[in-house]
Amino acid sequence: MSERKEPEGLTGAGMGRRGFLKTATLAGSGAVAQGVVAASQPAEQPAQRRHSVQMASREAEQGTPPPVTATQASCGSDFMVDVMRHVGIEYVAAIPGNTFKGLHESVINYGMTSAPALELVSCMHEEMSVAIAHGYAKVAGKPMACMMHSTVGLQHGAMALYNAYADRVPVFAIVGAILDAKDRHGYVDWQHSVFDGPALVRDFTKWDDTPLSLSHFAESAVRAYKFSLTPPWGPTVLAVDQELQEGAVAKGTALLIPQLPQIAPPAGEAGAVREVARVLVAAERPLIVADRTARTPESLRLMIELAEALQAAVVDVSGRMNFPWRHPLNQTQRRAELAARADVILGLELTDYWGVLGGRLVPGVKRISISSIDLYMKSNYQDFERFTPVDLAIAADAEATLPALVEAVRQQTPSRRRAFFKARGARLAQDHLDSLEQSRNAAAIGWDSQPITTARLCAEIYEQIRNEDWALCNGTVFQNYWPQQLWTATRHYQYIGDAGAYGLGYLPGASVGAALAHRKHGRLAVAIGGDGDLMFSPGALWSAAHHKIPLLYVVHNNRAYHQEIMFVQSMAVKRQRGIDRAHIGNAITEPNVDFAKLAASIGLYSEGPVSDPGELGTALRRAVAVVKQGQPALVDVICQGR
Amino acid sequence: MHIVRFAALMAAAVGTLVVFGSPGAVADEMRGNAVEGKRLFLADGCYQCHGTTGAGGGMAGPHLAPDPLPLEAVKAKLRTASGRMPVYTAAVISDAQIADIVAYLQSLPRAKAAKDIPLLNH
Repeated sequence: MSERKEPEGLTGAGMGRRGFLKTATLAGSGAVAQGVVAASQPAEQPAQRRHSVQMASREAEQGTPPPVTATQASCGSDFMVDVMRHVGIEYVAAIPGNTFKGLHESVINYGMTSAPALELVSCMHEEMSVAIAHGYAKVAGKPMACMMHSTVGLQHGAMALYNAYADRVPVFAIVGAILDAKDRHGYVDWQHSVFDGPALVRDFTKWDDTPLSLSHFAESAVRAYKFSLTPPWGPTVLAVDQELQEGAVAKGTALLIPQLPQIAPPAGEAGAVREVARVLVAAERPLIVADRTARTPESLRLMIELAEALQAAVVDVSGRMNFPWRHPLNQTQRRAELAARADVILGLELTDYWGVLGGRLVPGVKRISISSIDLYMKSNYQDFERFTPVDLAIAADAEATLPALVEAVRQQTPSRRRAFFKARGARLAQDHLDSLEQSRNAAAIGWDSQPITTARLCAEIYEQIRNEDWALCNGTVFQNYWPQQLWTATRHYQYIGDAGAYGLGYLPGASVGAALAHRKHGRLAVAIGGDGDLMFSPGALWSAAHHKIPLLYVVHNNRAYHQEIMFVQSMAVKRQRGIDRAHIGNAITEPNVDFAKLAASIGLYSEGPVSDPGELGTALRRAVAVVKQGQPALVDVICQGR
Repeated sequence: MHIVRFAALMAAAVGTLVVFGSPGAVADEMRGNAVEGKRLFLADGCYQCHGTTGAGGGMAGPHLAPDPLPLEAVKAKLRTASGRMPVYTAAVISDAQIADIVAYLQSLPRAKAAKDIPLLNH
């Protein structure tokens, strides 16, 4: 253990870190609006024995814990728990790791036993921890904390952090660290030590820090939390030193937790917003395209108001639930046609404006962008997509800009224009009905075939949940967007988009996190996920069973990494080698995976494999009944590729 | 490039319509073996995008059946495909094999009417 001196200015004049940290406790986060925490009990600080450098045994080399020579009434990691509660964190997802054992112990023995109680979500893999936090945040609208082991833990969690970053989702990540070499007890500690751990994910996290004192931790935690929820949202990382977690806090020590401000997202400049309204009102064929736009019920309402004020077509790129799926102005099915015909295109938080345009810049079309991505972008990872020339780019949060834009449109719409708008709206409403009929006719094709079509899969699921307060937890690209075509969704939480960066292994964790956020509202959470994705991270379903998180998980089991088959086929025919071997490395067969057995083995109610479309409805009904009783259930369905 | 391919495809399709306007052409097409066509449809990976029944679906691939394109149009599409659809040369799939696949697609039953499926009428 350390007797080193803290530099002055970090922890108090002339006071060593351990002396400074002695026994402080927080009298409830409600008392810390100004965040002053006073230590309540003294803690003796007897001399600590240095760890021997003479390694006599393998046990010693693997890191026998240093002898416990004192009891602590409070400690640094208890204070960290108070800071997390202070900012509003309710859940901490983690798989254990000794570099954050101090914080782990504080969460379970202090955070979970005193109000407001935290809940530790027990996980099987750091990638799942982050994915659970990812899915939770998209429903709850705030971050979940996620504790990860130093080096190897963060390495496991890195891909999931990239997903969250690309999906503009906050995650409050905490990574253990053993910064001081003399605190590393054995060779494993050395392998799990890194000087600048967050550097690994710095390219795809919004901000990180490695605090050197508890006051520093409090400031950085509040800064991270605030920054993660300032659009564009994103994950943050704090590396917390083992010594900082485990050290005692002295009686009478006053620790400040900065106040968390109410966050006002950046809205578009007023003059620019008025100009957008003028252009939209004057347009003949305006098109509103939304991606990660609506985060709240209010923004969904404003999207409807904007569209109805203009009687304009709306295309939902489906990053979020941006527009009701059965609204007459929802023209998502006609995306390519409308993008080619529009005279004004308003893009709201579009990641891929170029893709919306189909890669064609039609001369004379006014293109407008309102996006918070223009406010914060990093250079190495290229998730910002192709640069698209626009006539007006408003660097602002689209949701925060909507109230002013709706008002400006109303003010600038002359009465003589309203009849034109009304006629346009009527045409679009008919087009919507035509699209719906086309979708239904397409869904009927192969209705009774085996493997089961994705259209039938989605129709059968909807039949079982449509009278419930349901919430879909997956993106639907791999199900050909059938839910958007066939279901009716009107609430902002009923769809939360996809992984962000197409990183496989996302959905099992993310759906469990989303279902956790839905649980207290009594919603029926549903996820439709591929077999390949589930094989990356099936352990996430154990977390659902362990914590009794109600979730209906339907496996869209096409027994392959289906998309890749086509890519390999394309290569093979290009090289004139035949395509009969394209399944090698792509198929998930020989043996087939029995997901029902897999789920049952980790505590879930399960059905399947279901291959007869006539039996699917019954299997789903039984599973939904289990979910409505508060438990997770899985149904394995043998499906067409898409 | 795309324009050239599209023109070639359209020319083939138009030619097909002319060719298949005659009873003799229909007879040619019927020479395909539907059973062998199904085997090829599955073995060659067509079903991965277009579905086992050729129903297709959204971005994965357009529907091929019921009412498949005529043989010559299918052949033209395979030989001059663009985008995500691989080009299938004669070295990979022969003309006779394409005829088998088309015969399989022609053998598939028509879909139920959507209005007759309660789950599609909510």
